[in-house]
Amino acid sequence: MPARSFLHELNPLTKIAWSLAVITVAFVFQQPLPLLGLWASVLAVALAGKVLKEILPAIRGLLIFAAIFILFQIFLIQEGNTVFTLLPGSGFGRVTDVGLTACTMLALRMLAMTSTIPVLLATTPPKDMIVAFVEKLRVPYVYALMLVTSLRFIPTLQEELGLIIQAQRARACDLESRNIFRRLRAIVPLALPLLLMSVQRARTMAISMETRGFGAGPRTSLRTSTFQTLDLGVIAGCLFLTAALVIIALR
Amino acid sequence: MIRAEAIEFTYPNGFRALQGLDFHIKAGEFVALIGENGAGKTTLLKLLGGLLKPTAGRLLVGGLDTARVRAVELARRVGFLFQNPDHQLFLPTVREELAFGPKNLGLKGQALEERVAEAAAAVGLTPYLEVNPRQLSKGQRQRVALASILAMEPEVLVLDEPTTGQDYREALEIMTIVQKLHRQGHTVLCVTHDMEMVARFADRALVLGAGELLLDGPLATVFAREDILAATGLLPPQAVQLARPYWEAGLLPGVLTVEELYEAIITALRGEKDARQVLPA
Repeated sequence: MPARSFLHELNPLTKIAWSLAVITVAFVFQQPLPLLGLWASVLAVALAGKVLKEILPAIRGLLIFAAIFILFQIFLIQEGNTVFTLLPGSGFGRVTDVGLTACTMLALRMLAMTSTIPVLLATTPPKDMIVAFVEKLRVPYVYALMLVTSLRFIPTLQEELGLIIQAQRARACDLESRNIFRRLRAIVPLALPLLLMSVQRARTMAISMETRGFGAGPRTSLRTSTFQTLDLGVIAGCLFLTAALVIIALR
Repeated sequence: MIRAEAIEFTYPNGFRALQGLDFHIKAGEFVALIGENGAGKTTLLKLLGGLLKPTAGRLLVGGLDTARVRAVELARRVGFLFQNPDHQLFLPTVREELAFGPKNLGLKGQALEERVAEAAAAVGLTPYLEVNPRQLSKGQRQRVALASILAMEPEVLVLDEPTTGQDYREALEIMTIVQKLHRQGHTVLCVTHDMEMVARFADRALVLGAGELLLDGPLATVFAREDILAATGLLPPQAVQLARPYWEAGLLPGVLTVEELYEAIITALRGEKDARQVLPA
């Protein structure tokens, strides 16, 4: 982790607590404006942790997702006054004020809730996450390792798939056919080598882990997971703010 | 056959892999492409196979502009052998694996059978046609991959480190097959880190360093420029290094391989070609 900040110093579980607090608050508010504020607060935390630039691609992806979400929902809500219609006079594609508010609310809620995840991932080394899960939450090490390893292998598999695509194209395998059946059939020469190589890779990895004594006995970590004063402060702050906001929202 | 006109290639992440290459390879040449890792060798091969398109300049293969023709079309002319055969092998028998490429080109029935049989014979895999490629050794799998390319009868063979991960005998076998194909008229462009193999099989070498063409010429000329070779992390073959001081002093002719060096020493010692017979082996 090159960019060091207070967010990087926090215990991973503290950051998960913050994430849960944001989710709770997102569910109790029903208006777009407070949810917008909540989302802004998440981005502000990212900015303070010097990772805003790093997570922007993820945020952009979430925005596209939110836009699609709005597009699918907005024409389905028929209550309220008409704001505009896609085909004037026909009643098709009617957008109401109620629908607009509801969709904006849902989209912002989703954004606020999901934006904490890239912040969490960008400020936490996977290894620290495993240690925190294993030591503080008593998750069996094997499960924690499986989770983190599977995430770790996504870019490797993408790279491998890229090579396989090139290798099959060099054998005149038509991957861009307009014919849908041909296109589906073209998945086989890509999927099979990828699958076979993954199995082989998993086997090699299992052997290489065993040769380094994996599963030989109780496991200790070089750096243990600790809660510092800062962590306790942040967790207390999150709890307090969440409670206060829940009371305000429900009153 | 292959003409590169100021080709450049920049990866989407901004890495400039090739910065303006010019060269011309005639039909029937055997060219080795050498240089350290990251010099742009594989990128150049992928441009030749139409798998990547040059970001500037033009690359022509047999008169076709690789940037305009689809990779599927180019596959008829350029056979591309990848470093790792496991990236392409997926069918249950060697026979089906060899038939995959020609089938994609539209071949059927008798013609297809003939192509498969010829390709298998060319790499010595005829007894293995019904075997699952996954059960073969790495060197044999590499030969299956090579045969699967040959079955498409391309004029140009582009080989990306065909001998990696194989023992000396297997490496020699595959290079001998490539040599045979070259003699049958294929134009060969081969990436390798093995200078002994270059000296033994290629006629000409292109030396790449940091995306630029540092040297281009006959092997003897290229291996004489130790300074430039060192800049891209290469050493001439040991026989060349050993013979160099004697060559400079005018005692030995220029040699490339151990066999040539042996021949030259014998001749120099006895002043006659048949001296080998009187000297102990």
